[in-house]
Amino acid sequence: MNHVIRRIAALALALGTFGFARPAAAQLKVVTSTTDLYDIARQVGGNLVMVTHIGEGYQDPHFIEAKPSFVLQLRNADVWAFVGLDLEIGWMPLLLDGARNPKVRLGGSGYLDVSKAIPVLDVPQGNVDRSMGDVHPLGNPHYWLDPENGRRIARLFKDKFSQLDRKNEDRYEANEKAFEARLNAAEKTWAPYLAQIRGKPVIAYHTSWRYFAQYTGMRIVAYMEPKPGVPPSPSHVFEVIRDAKQAGAKVVVQEPFYDRKMSDLVAKNLGGTVLIVPPSVGGARDVPDYITLMTKDIQAVAAALR
Amino acid sequence: MRTILFATCVALAIVSPLGAQQPDTTRKPTSPADSARQRQVRDSLKAVQDSLDLMKQIEAAQSAPSQAPQSQPQQTSGATGATNPRLLPDFSAVGDFVGDLSPNGTTQEDATRFSVREVELAVQAVVDPYLRGDVFLGISDLEGVSIEQAYLTTTSIPDLEIRMGRYLMPFGKQNTTHRHDLHTIEYPYVIQRFLSTDGLKGTGVWVDKVFAPFGFYQELQATAVDRLGDRVDSLTTAEPANKRLGGIGFSARVRNYWDLTQAANVELSFSGMTGKREQPLNETYAGILQASGVGANAALARQSTVGADFTFRWRPLQQGLYKSFILQGEVMRQLNSRSPEIPVASAPAVGYVGPTYAGPTRDFTGAYGFARWQITARGFVGARYDWLQDPLQNGRTFAAGSGYLEWYPSEFSKFAAAYERHSRLDALGQDRILLQATFSLGPHKPHPF
Repeated sequence: MNHVIRRIAALALALGTFGFARPAAAQLKVVTSTTDLYDIARQVGGNLVMVTHIGEGYQDPHFIEAKPSFVLQLRNADVWAFVGLDLEIGWMPLLLDGARNPKVRLGGSGYLDVSKAIPVLDVPQGNVDRSMGDVHPLGNPHYWLDPENGRRIARLFKDKFSQLDRKNEDRYEANEKAFEARLNAAEKTWAPYLAQIRGKPVIAYHTSWRYFAQYTGMRIVAYMEPKPGVPPSPSHVFEVIRDAKQAGAKVVVQEPFYDRKMSDLVAKNLGGTVLIVPPSVGGARDVPDYITLMTKDIQAVAAALR
Repeated sequence: MRTILFATCVALAIVSPLGAQQPDTTRKPTSPADSARQRQVRDSLKAVQDSLDLMKQIEAAQSAPSQAPQSQPQQTSGATGATNPRLLPDFSAVGDFVGDLSPNGTTQEDATRFSVREVELAVQAVVDPYLRGDVFLGISDLEGVSIEQAYLTTTSIPDLEIRMGRYLMPFGKQNTTHRHDLHTIEYPYVIQRFLSTDGLKGTGVWVDKVFAPFGFYQELQATAVDRLGDRVDSLTTAEPANKRLGGIGFSARVRNYWDLTQAANVELSFSGMTGKREQPLNETYAGILQASGVGANAALARQSTVGADFTFRWRPLQQGLYKSFILQGEVMRQLNSRSPEIPVASAPAVGYVGPTYAGPTRDFTGAYGFARWQITARGFVGARYDWLQDPLQNGRTFAAGSGYLEWYPSEFSKFAAAYERHSRLDALGQDRILLQATFSLGPHKPHPF
């Protein structure tokens, strides 16, 4: 009997040592909803933070499955940073409820709604209902595709990390400044491309290119979706072709996760092209970080409009 | 708070000159006791200085003109204020409309060809910093208004969730999904026969713990509920099942989840529950009981159910809007007490020698398998196979195959059509044709994965 008890005790000890033991909390554990926030958090946090993300850059961020494995990521997180403006409304509540981590719930020290630092576009005026499609009542959530918002996001991360880890405040500040310096340097190289884009008409698949258009001066004259989240219908495609012809648009800009059949049809009728552009970090193999994302997207759009 | 801080600082400020009268702290200590005393004095002086510095900073901050932080832009979404200033809860409604075009007559419980099977009203909100509340009311022609679910959930206990109230019992995979949100129009037959036609509910306490000692997701869900299963109005026992603690219901479920790839994952879970339920007595014996003044026609018999469920999901991330596949199966075994305690008649049962217990005296097994394939952005086809030893037919084997077509105009509405064929020819015939339309109004919380 004693032999059995000793074995059980040894097993419990082993589980305690290898299974349930947690490493000392040296780094801030940060989980982000998208890869763009992930990359900027990584740049600002450096080796002081451990960042993971839920969505992938080639995935529609509106429709992410709330998999239990994500709950494990959030269970021990110090910071949960998300885009906000209801982008994650379909899956975030399940993950936060499942995580049972008061730090990352609304009101917790690690709950970081990044949209709070952003001047938001397309905030609907007047009454809003679902006849308008997947409308976001708080405004357009695809704000990271404007580098000025990239800076705002970086500053917000700096503030949050500094608040939670006072002793490394200076290092977060230095990292954030270094990120802005790299972004500024990259921005200088974009000038000739921006000149090629400014004022040129395009067709966008979804409203995700609004902030990009505001920054680059690209003119969106029609959307493939008749309403946000509603796939193009034949009658709408007819209207898109008509409007695009009137405006002289020949390029359809769309994300890699949308079906391109209708876009190809429109491009064919216009004698133009469909440009598949990653909307997020990791949306294509050669887009490993935020500055590269902006650079590649601007270059690709400029090349298509040249 | 500010007053307390100020008073503390004043007190410390008064004490600080006294510190000046203490022995010179820069002098070399002559003994270990002196050294400790000097360190203590130094710490006290530093605390006083820190408090005064803090007070100065607070005063400076209060007197400075208010200024937006530099890192915040002037006009942000946060600047518009709270989005729900009146702290209203989320109100939502779900309508579930069912049509039955079966060739040999309707197969619906209320004998209708077309019916609003249920309207579900939900009120959901955070109650306070520690709890959230969810209330779901079911309204149907058959049952009137009923409390489908109403529970408080803790939100501030790290790693643990406790739920109190009425809820869908965490037994098997599909039972925790509301009927209107199933991939099929009705629950699989094994759930309908072994648990309840519209999902087994329980009223009590639910404790839920997520853990990952082996590197993958595991969750333990345990409940204690007032009673197990739906009450049968026509059955009366000599004493209520919950009179003794052993008569209330208990359940436990262990979920195991693995990501196979980014696109594919598997869940394998095991459930068990036990409790006492009312089971009928032989009518003649019930009459004898009645005659002897015992107003009971049922006995309390222990019923336990064990089950296992398996779900495989595939959804490629990049084409996730257009392609997905689910393969799911559950198997359950219901274990029934063979000789429950029978109420004793005080009057002699003259001439009666037959059996007295008329409840189930054998165990039953049932299972289903289900698959659903996404064929377009909004279209799905599915099929299900049901097999069970039917408790309503004393274990007679029952099998059914069904096919489904589903179309989702958006996340908030669904149209479905089903054809089902039974193995057994009974009064309802072998074929069923069902139609369904559901819609959701308001901010209905997403359903569990």
